Amino acid sequence: MQQVLLMTLERLRAGKLREPERIVSFVLGMCRMVVLEIRRGGWRREKLLATWGDTAEAVEGPEPAVLDTDKLGACLEALAERERTVVVLTFFADKSGDEVATELGLTAGNVRVIRHRALARLRACMDREAR
Amino acid sequence: MTAARCGKPIEFEALVAYWVGELPMAAEARIEEHLFGCAHCTRRVEELAALAFGIRAVVRRGAVQAVITPTFLETMKRQGMRIREYRLAPGERVACTIRADDDAVVGRLQAPLAGVKRVDALHSLDFGDGQVQQWRAEDLPFDASTGEVLSLPSAEALKRSPAHTFCVRLLAVDESGERPLGEYTFAHTPG
Repeated sequence: MQQVLLMTLERLRAGKLREPERIVSFVLGMCRMVVLEIRRGGWRREKLLATWGDTAEAVEGPEPAVLDTDKLGACLEALAERERTVVVLTFFADKSGDEVATELGLTAGNVRVIRHRALARLRACMDREAR
Repeated sequence: MTAARCGKPIEFEALVAYWVGELPMAAEARIEEHLFGCAHCTRRVEELAALAFGIRAVVRRGAVQAVITPTFLETMKRQGMRIREYRLAPGERVACTIRADDDAVVGRLQAPLAGVKRVDALHSLDFGDGQVQQWRAEDLPFDASTGEVLSLPSAEALKRSPAHTFCVRLLAVDESGERPLGEYTFAHTPG
């Protein structure tokens, strides 16, 4: 959010916002860029830096809190093989349901069911471990 | 964002679809507009983000074993992870190790997967002390067109492990029973 506000202020100061009445849309668009950058593991970072130069670099915010990876590793191990593969493909390799389906010879609907069940089990396991 | 509760919370599955970029732009925009004014749902996105970053950290640390795919392996390499690969044909035995600066070891088990519906794996682990541990993993994910099953063991566990022999027997399973696809032996010595 800090990054988005600074980008917005930068644009306003530079007089680059052509339609000030559309500032909400602009801010939402910036949010989308930042969220995409975070969730895609930084692959858009170079593009953002090319656009925003020192501004984006200077305001790079902290990543979301990382969970206890010992507990998370144990909870991942407790999943079924197929569930674990779908989860790591989704969150480590940034694959959509369609992409995971293609790689595993499954239907996209099947992958989403497996993903849903796996995440429910993973969250329940982390909640139990946290107590 | 002051609302502690949300009258119309976004389904978690929709937040996951949003996170992985599956939604059309219009649906993404609707979710983002909702998130802008809803602390409750934003908190849930933050939980999802923490889970996603945690999973990345677990994989990078080598703290989990999994069956993976060729593109997953490419992602690991692209992210700068140092990978040691062993490609085995059915019946093959390989001398293997992991060194301190390796991030992962991947076993590429070649197998005749055409027409196979389900693959199970029988594992046996022998430390040479007379006690052999055996276990079965059911319903491994695979893409028959690749003709291989990619196994990513826990690098952390391997680095702690003394010399041992690890054997994997892949089985094709269907309504009529099961048949062997191949047996693969890893003779591990510490790096």
